[in-house]
Amino acid sequence: MRIVVCVKEVLDPDAVNNYALAGRLEIGEDGKSLTQTTIPRLMNGFDEQALEAALRLRDAGAECRIGVVSVGSDPATILKHAAALGADEIAAVMMEEPSPDYHVVATLLSSYLSTSGGADIILCGRQASDDDQGVVPALICEALGIPLVTNARAVELMQAAGETALRITRVTPDGDEVVEVSCPAVVTVSNELGEPRYPTAAKKIAARRMKPEIVTAESLSLSAEKLRPRVVALRQFVPTVSGNCEFVDGETPAELASALIARLRQESVIS
Amino acid sequence: MTEAKPVVVCTWSESQGEFPVGAEEALTLGRKVANALGTRLHWLVLGTLPETGMETAGRFGADGVDQIEDAALEAFSADVYLNALAGYCRQESPMLVVFSQSVETRLVAPRLAGRLEAGVLMNGVDIVAGDDGGLQATASAYGGDTQVVYELSGAACYVFALAANALQAEPAEGGPTQPGCRSISSDLGGVEDRIRVVEEARTEGPRLEDADVIVSGGRGLGGPENYGLIERLAEALGGLAGASRPLVDEGWVDSSQQVGLTGKITRPALYLAAGISGASQHMAGCSAAKTIVAINKDPDAAIFRYARFGIVGDCLEILPELIQAAKQ
Ligand SMILES: Cc1cc2nc3c(=O)[nH]c(=O)nc-3n(C[C@H](O)[C@H](O)[C@H](O)COP(=O)(O)OP(=O)(O)OC[C@H]3O[C@@H](n4cnc5c(N)ncnc54)[C@H](O)[C@@H]3O)c2cc1C
Repeated sequence: MRIVVCVKEVLDPDAVNNYALAGRLEIGEDGKSLTQTTIPRLMNGFDEQALEAALRLRDAGAECRIGVVSVGSDPATILKHAAALGADEIAAVMMEEPSPDYHVVATLLSSYLSTSGGADIILCGRQASDDDQGVVPALICEALGIPLVTNARAVELMQAAGETALRITRVTPDGDEVVEVSCPAVVTVSNELGEPRYPTAAKKIAARRMKPEIVTAESLSLSAEKLRPRVVALRQFVPTVSGNCEFVDGETPAELASALIARLRQESVIS
Repeated sequence: MTEAKPVVVCTWSESQGEFPVGAEEALTLGRKVANALGTRLHWLVLGTLPETGMETAGRFGADGVDQIEDAALEAFSADVYLNALAGYCRQESPMLVVFSQSVETRLVAPRLAGRLEAGVLMNGVDIVAGDDGGLQATASAYGGDTQVVYELSGAACYVFALAANALQAEPAEGGPTQPGCRSISSDLGGVEDRIRVVEEARTEGPRLEDADVIVSGGRGLGGPENYGLIERLAEALGGLAGASRPLVDEGWVDSSQQVGLTGKITRPALYLAAGISGASQHMAGCSAAKTIVAINKDPDAAIFRYARFGIVGDCLEILPELIQAAKQ
């Protein structure tokens, strides 16, 4: 059985948040990218949890090869991280410009998946923490004509009578839902899956020697027409939040509390 | 001359008979884009049209209401809904399909785009028609820390999901229209969802999405033992208790209590946040609240930029007093 995990490199969202919280997030001269060059780049958190889900399937006894693939201009670093965590094969789909076009990314990934031997389980993070779009897994499922299960907190393998299926606990607004789906299928993973593991030092060293397979649009025989973007980023900006906070007065916690409740009643926010 | 392709707003009710959340906002945006492009606005309703549906359609300037009613659409199923939608779009060739973003549309919208070879954008904030008649769309990124303006060109159709707090619903200028209602037939008999539900999600009591008052706690509470203060204040105010994501990740509270981009998108009258910093991903789930109140010991905390009322102080000291004061 082959499991393929799709991962994306992003700017550390916590670092981006910290700049934003301090009101110091800025866009560079190209009008598109963040100026803060000190923000580390790392594997999207949900994708790391998708890889963790794959590793847990293997830990639970699934006989599988775990492949990790990333589309980007220089995905080698996160792919080595994936290797250190336990990926058996890593593939870098090269894309000159980190395009925000999800259709292009999904076309590259689905084409890689179908030409590299297919996959029984395709795992992705529920969304990337940079653009928050979460559309690539859905586009892959449609391109390959296979089902999509979103927001998994647990993924279990069920093998019976030569058929492979998954039992997935999904996080929904109404609580957890348990579903079953036959493979092949695309599954997206949510943060509820829990902390991903850390690579051991020995595995990190071993992973350094692992070279990603290099894949390109040409090697996938994808025409320029197929890879024509449909959604092109023109510019990025930092929206202003207009604050008009009224700070409640009082010397003691009790005074502050009763002043707040009084104001809320006065404004008919509460009765 | 071929007729300009329509703009379609697509909604369905999360539970039978309820008015679909976000429909008015999506219609407001749809009307604006249709006006700018000189084309028609259709409201596509999957399942039963809510009672006030035709009146709403007219008020928001729809040129027509299209309804697909089928027993198969009674409960949400991604595969079935998608089939109905794709069939409709192949027939009507809309240039733009607008959804109001929800957990369900997050699943259906991008799959529809994949099936129709359309372009897709989620977390949408706005769409404007450029000088050349092309469309430019704005969507939030990094949870809302930034926004990105995209050019939509190269595809015959675009699928767009409007974020919960992106814009205010506004009735169409020039008074209500008198839209007709078409019943669209679709053959959904043979479509089966490939995903089998073996254990249904069990809704336990009222949901944060529907709450009028929400009191949420964050990492500033210090430890799980203090979360009871949030629950007691919520109770005293007749509301529900929510949380920021770290509390879910640490296992203090259930994930159904997480408010934010990847949690619940709420629209209460009052949202009280204690010990929450105001990260964009959290605010994405509560900035549609009418009144936000923040308690934070850091006077520069970002949450105060969103709050209408604020208390600078230790929430562990203030929450017990608030519980008292709210009960009086
Ligand atoms: C892709 C992605 C999706 C995410 N989705 C969500 C989401 O859906 N929901 C969500 O909430 N987060 C989400 N996050 C996380 C988000 O970025 C923040 O990390 C999180 O919201 C911070 O939670 P917090 O405010 O409780 O904690 P912190 O940011 O640690 O803030 C704690 C606050 O408490 C204050 N404080 C400390 N002690 C006290 C005290 N005694 N009294 C009063 N105040 C005190 C501090 O001044 C501080 O402002 C997401 C992140 C990413 C990258």
